[in-house]
Amino acid sequence: MSYGAQQSDLATTWAQLEAGIDPIMNKLSDGLSYKSWMDLYTTIYNYCTSSRMCNHNDEPINGSSSNRGANLMGADLYSNLKTYLKEHLDALKVKADQQMDEDLLTFYTREWKRYTTGTTYVHHIFAYLNRHWVKREIDEGHKTIYDVYTLTLVTWRDHFFGGGLGTIQPKVMDAVLKLIEKQRNGETIDSSIVNSIVDSFVSLGLDENDSTKPTLDVYKQFFETPFIAKTEEYYKMESERFISENSIIDYMKKAESRLAEEDNRVQMYLHSSSQKPLILCCENVLIRNHTGPIQEEFQNLLDQDKLDDLSRMYGLLSRVPESLEKLRLTFEVHVRKQGLSAIEKVAESAQAAPEGEEDEEDEPKGKLAASAAPKKAGDVDSKTYVDALLAVHQKYSSLVETAFRGETGFGASLDRACREFVNRNIVCEKSSSKSPELLAKHCDSLLKKGSKITDEHEVEEVLNSVMTLFKYVEDKDVFQKFYQKQLARRLVNQLSANGDTEESMINKLKDACGFEFTSKLQRMFQDVALSKDLNDQFKEQTARSAEKSDLPDFQILVGGTGQWPLNATTTKFNIPDDLLKTYEKFQSFYQHKFSGRKLNWLFHLGRAEIRANFVKQNGKIPYTFLTSTFQMGVLLQFNAAPSYTFAELQTNTSLDPATLKSALFGLIKSKALIVSNEKTSDPETRYEINKAFKNKKTRVKVDIPMRAEQKAESDETHKGIEDDRSMVIQAAIVRIMKTRKVMQNQLLVTETIDQLKARFRPTVPAIKKCIDMLLEKEYIERMEEQRDMFQYIA
Amino acid sequence: MVKLTSSDGQEVSVPKEIACQSVLIKNMLEDVGEADDQPIPLPNVSGPILAKVIEYATHHKDDPPLPPEEEAKLKSSEDIDEWDREFTNVDQGTLFELILASNYLDMKGLLDLGCKTVANMIKGKTVEEIRKTFNIQNDFTPEEEEQIRKENEWCEDR
Repeated sequence: MSYGAQQSDLATTWAQLEAGIDPIMNKLSDGLSYKSWMDLYTTIYNYCTSSRMCNHNDEPINGSSSNRGANLMGADLYSNLKTYLKEHLDALKVKADQQMDEDLLTFYTREWKRYTTGTTYVHHIFAYLNRHWVKREIDEGHKTIYDVYTLTLVTWRDHFFGGGLGTIQPKVMDAVLKLIEKQRNGETIDSSIVNSIVDSFVSLGLDENDSTKPTLDVYKQFFETPFIAKTEEYYKMESERFISENSIIDYMKKAESRLAEEDNRVQMYLHSSSQKPLILCCENVLIRNHTGPIQEEFQNLLDQDKLDDLSRMYGLLSRVPESLEKLRLTFEVHVRKQGLSAIEKVAESAQAAPEGEEDEEDEPKGKLAASAAPKKAGDVDSKTYVDALLAVHQKYSSLVETAFRGETGFGASLDRACREFVNRNIVCEKSSSKSPELLAKHCDSLLKKGSKITDEHEVEEVLNSVMTLFKYVEDKDVFQKFYQKQLARRLVNQLSANGDTEESMINKLKDACGFEFTSKLQRMFQDVALSKDLNDQFKEQTARSAEKSDLPDFQILVGGTGQWPLNATTTKFNIPDDLLKTYEKFQSFYQHKFSGRKLNWLFHLGRAEIRANFVKQNGKIPYTFLTSTFQMGVLLQFNAAPSYTFAELQTNTSLDPATLKSALFGLIKSKALIVSNEKTSDPETRYEINKAFKNKKTRVKVDIPMRAEQKAESDETHKGIEDDRSMVIQAAIVRIMKTRKVMQNQLLVTETIDQLKARFRPTVPAIKKCIDMLLEKEYIERMEEQRDMFQYIA
Repeated sequence: MVKLTSSDGQEVSVPKEIACQSVLIKNMLEDVGEADDQPIPLPNVSGPILAKVIEYATHHKDDPPLPPEEEAKLKSSEDIDEWDREFTNVDQGTLFELILASNYLDMKGLLDLGCKTVANMIKGKTVEEIRKTFNIQNDFTPEEEEQIRKENEWCEDR
């Protein structure tokens, strides 16, 4: 076949193809039969295959390919198709030029759909060309040859859509932006139009190096960039106008809804990759540009507890993270102020309130109050105090959780503020250890029998909230001391309301401060359990012996000196004859069981129940007196004679005057004894048993402590803490010096504070004092040449 | 089911998934949609060859599509299973027509099989034997022949 023959072959082939393709591109809705489709494919197949055998001597059609073995037919079909597409689009452009705005968009999207559907067919019909000729060209590196579908897109892009003059892209984009602005102004638009425009822009992004890989270049350049610019302009105007005409609260609502709207816009019709730049742009214009005024509103919202608006403000400003720091600082100051003023109120009302409500025990008031010290700011009720602290903490921690979404920065601000007002408020003015003391006292009142809260879960909850405050307490050792003391009292006097609750509280403390913090407390519990066994064994033994009937009921608690914060009294005490036998029996029983252990009897902590046979309630039931051991010692005297002088009682019991006086105090108050004169501790004052004793209850508590004693106890505990701290600081210094050997003064102080801060915050003078003590004791020494350096002496 | 019509007018009904092993038919059905009675004309495939093609497609209808790296492995002409070997045990004319049909219908598996079979027919044969096998006239002049031999000396067995 000659070249000419082939040309005419091409002409007929192309004529057939064009006649078939044209309806596909223009009137596809008319339908297409299998036969026409197959004929088009077969025409191309035949053209590409039949010419092959006679082609290899012909002029190369596309440059380089002819020298490489078998030549593939198709170049002319490809270029004819290209020309056809160009002409097709030129015609379309003429029509497009007559359209404007929304009409243009409708036209564009309709034509885009028609074109891409048609070209999908064409792509398939040209499959044979794609598989062979195009594949070969691409394999050989011809960048300007694409598979047929890509060719149709490239042609659309370069001849219809375009970037320059005479193409319709700028007009389309202009119309799209106008449409979106309409929607932003609240009008309803057909968003599917924008959607398909976006699709078309995205489809036109073709990688020049590999046409099978899509890129977003076209979309980014021609759609996203102008769209973002327009957005910025729009919201800049709107936000500036709105903020000048409305309140910040309203502005925040506006901004919030605008941001949601734009986010929604991405879902609705933009490419998902635009989400980031769009939202970033909106955040800049709507929030970052206005952070100042928004931040200023924060304090107002806090003052008015406007939870929703606070939440909204956080939601907005958290998008501009650096703006939160200012809020955190404001928040911290605010919470601290709230905490301090809450405590001030507590202190004020404590001063104004009538006396004597500190203790809930059923003691009579009145005369007693006169003997108590006048109230000071420090004498607040532990429950009121703790509740006030908790209320502030709870309010703001729930604010952090809800409005600030539990953000850690605000959590830290809250913690700092709480630490401040828990440790340094008006109640703690004298000593920062007031907070832990009151906290421990509060625990005691919760764990003690007769607590107002009896439900186990409720107690548990309150204890948990106590623990949240405990976290903030700096002087944890003070808490520990008081807690231990009160626990001892609860255990000794069997005042514990519930063993499980006690245990759970200790576990909480252990979790918070470690095993060491609670080890003594735990050992106290063990002692109580062991004592139970001990009592059982002792009872069993005495039951076996003959003389059980003369022995009174007897129970004992044996505790290790190390863990129980109890002191022996200085007073002597004559054990009453009725008890002496039991005393001796137990002594020998115990010595037999644990030889080598020494029993110290703490009579001042003991209690007794005595049945008074000399007088009966309503003449029928004898009264029972609940007494201290010492009071029992006193009362038992009256079995022998109806009255004694103070001096006689003192001789008989061997008690020192002060102890005797306090024992008599309760007996007089409950009118078990009648005193002859006001001077209760005068040696000649006479005491007489009250034969006409009367009381509503049959069990009468006569063991009433004097107020002054309680006060003294608290002061004593504080003093004990000072001493303990000195030991703890010295121990810490020695530990540090032992490892470091040589250390500079300042560093040593810092390190010491660091080591101890979990338990308490030692003051610098206290540390200096301890260093001096250690110098004196020759644990450490100053170095010869450098006076501010210390050296460990091994 | 779809109806296929061969070049000589024979009509065969086959399940759609079997017909669609031909990418050509698959694309066309995708474009035009399914029309119930319309037969699909295959003007370049004769009746007997179409029958063979359908036989092949039916046998391989459940083959999983191979990932590209697996496919490359199967390029070896040794790797033909029993059924396929039996299937291609046909006269040369039929074999070549099968190759042409599979190229037209765009059935990669069948095209590969056909080409492998031809490759096996060439393998291990001398030039003369190959000429004889495929009935090829020697149209080289002795000079041309000498020239080619020289160029390819490096790959001769020694």
